[in-house]
Amino acid sequence: MSNNTISEVVKLKRKLYLELLRLVKSGDLIKEISNLSEKMITKDTPRYRCCEFKERAIFDERIKAVLGFNIAENKDQSLEELAASFPRQQKNRNVVEVIDTACDSCPIDKYIVTDACRNCVAHKCVNACPVNAIVIIQNKAYIDQDKCIECGKCAQACSYNAILENQRPCSRACELDAISSDSNRQAKIDRDKCVSCGSCIAACPFGAITEISDLIEVAINLFAEESKLAALLAPSFLGQLGYQQSADKVNYALKKLGFERVREVAAGAEITAAAEAEELEEKIELNETLVSSCCPAFKSMVENDFEELSDLVSATQSPMAVTAEEIKKEDDELKTVFIGPCTAKKEEALSDQNVDYVLTFEELISLFAASSINLAQIDKEEKLEDAGALGRQFAYAGGLQKSLQELAAVDFDSKQVDGLGRLKKELYLIKADKNNYNFLEGMACVGGCIGGPSAMINQKKAKKLIQEFAGAH
Amino acid sequence: MSKNTLKICIGTPCHLMGAADLLEAVENLDYNLRKKIELKTSHCIDNCCDKAPVAEFNGKVYQDLNPEKLYEIINKNIR
Repeated sequence: MSNNTISEVVKLKRKLYLELLRLVKSGDLIKEISNLSEKMITKDTPRYRCCEFKERAIFDERIKAVLGFNIAENKDQSLEELAASFPRQQKNRNVVEVIDTACDSCPIDKYIVTDACRNCVAHKCVNACPVNAIVIIQNKAYIDQDKCIECGKCAQACSYNAILENQRPCSRACELDAISSDSNRQAKIDRDKCVSCGSCIAACPFGAITEISDLIEVAINLFAEESKLAALLAPSFLGQLGYQQSADKVNYALKKLGFERVREVAAGAEITAAAEAEELEEKIELNETLVSSCCPAFKSMVENDFEELSDLVSATQSPMAVTAEEIKKEDDELKTVFIGPCTAKKEEALSDQNVDYVLTFEELISLFAASSINLAQIDKEEKLEDAGALGRQFAYAGGLQKSLQELAAVDFDSKQVDGLGRLKKELYLIKADKNNYNFLEGMACVGGCIGGPSAMINQKKAKKLIQEFAGAH
Repeated sequence: MSKNTLKICIGTPCHLMGAADLLEAVENLDYNLRKKIELKTSHCIDNCCDKAPVAEFNGKVYQDLNPEKLYEIINKNIR
């Protein structure tokens, strides 16, 4: 099975995209937006919470995120007010956010006492608990879950390992321990650790964690009479709009949708690769290690958690940044829209003035669907040929490494690691000076970008399609 | 042995709601089941895009599918 089988949570989100886009198209967004939750959530739609009213309240928060506003900061703003305030004035600070009302404060008790408890004399657990949440009932320790603050001290203290740690889906998914729970036991994201990789969004079965989207503002631009938008397609785009949809067809369809210019970010990736190869040659001479910088989630992780290694991170700009800069140079009136499988790129774009918006593949496909453009029925094509293998193979893990092996003038040892958990271990090795290579390619998502949180197809097939497209094997 | 025909819509609305998952589900079918089915793709079935993803099995249209529902439909109706 693919890693991204579509759940009801995902379906609901995508249906919401479609409804909102239709409102943008008909010009009724401001008028109709406050009725949307009532229209989409009725007595008869499947219900996961106590009543449809709570369901709607949650949905309204979700709408704010899709509109592109941080939920917590705009708590008191009505949907109409927000819908009337486009284009958004302030840039968002956070890309990944918890919808407090949706977070079920998972009743999964984080610590539970198992039958291994022997009611020992020492009662280390009782003594270890800072909030007196543990009492002895019927010959066994018992955790009062209303008092428990999930600190874990009891589990460490027990001589029989009788206290079990049971993690929530969101915090289990987060390789960087950026999710904890607040005093109400709701999920809380530690901004100093979060790299916006998107793992928790996919993991939460309640859909309580969401990304802040640029979709509606892009749509408002795109559907306007005079729009000047450029689509920057991530190297991983092939197949994501449907297995059968060729690059040339996607190019044609994007123009039809209203984009004035379409560019492969693989073109920027070629420039990135060449610059990084030069940087690497210098490092090799000094016998130092270079760490790749094109994956923003990995780069942020190094900066947040391994400050002393941040000098090793390549100073070369990411393919997105390079491509956006090129387009702005060609025509600075064009607004750039990066389209990819990635939530971390949304964060990278916040501090890159050349990138105006970032969309995911699912958001782009929603734009097509809401505009009644069915790619399967299009038989026209327009050649898309901005890059070669050196750039296109950035889409999958190992591709960058391969490009550098080809480009660098000297021989060198390198290593490729994907997945934030594995990368963290690798970085500890580098920190301890136990690495025997000059280059580390780090991709936060397993498999590289084709395994990204918003990838639409099986990553093995995506890799095959891209390899054929790039002419690289 | 009569052949069964499965048609899966790969139009954009169906792709958005998981047509790729359905195609993959068919590939992962038990070999004995898979060899009895002829798989086709369609650009649009019945214009019911708001109930995506859609598939047609032996002439009957099924809406709002997911891999589990599709397994069940195939298992029940296979000839």
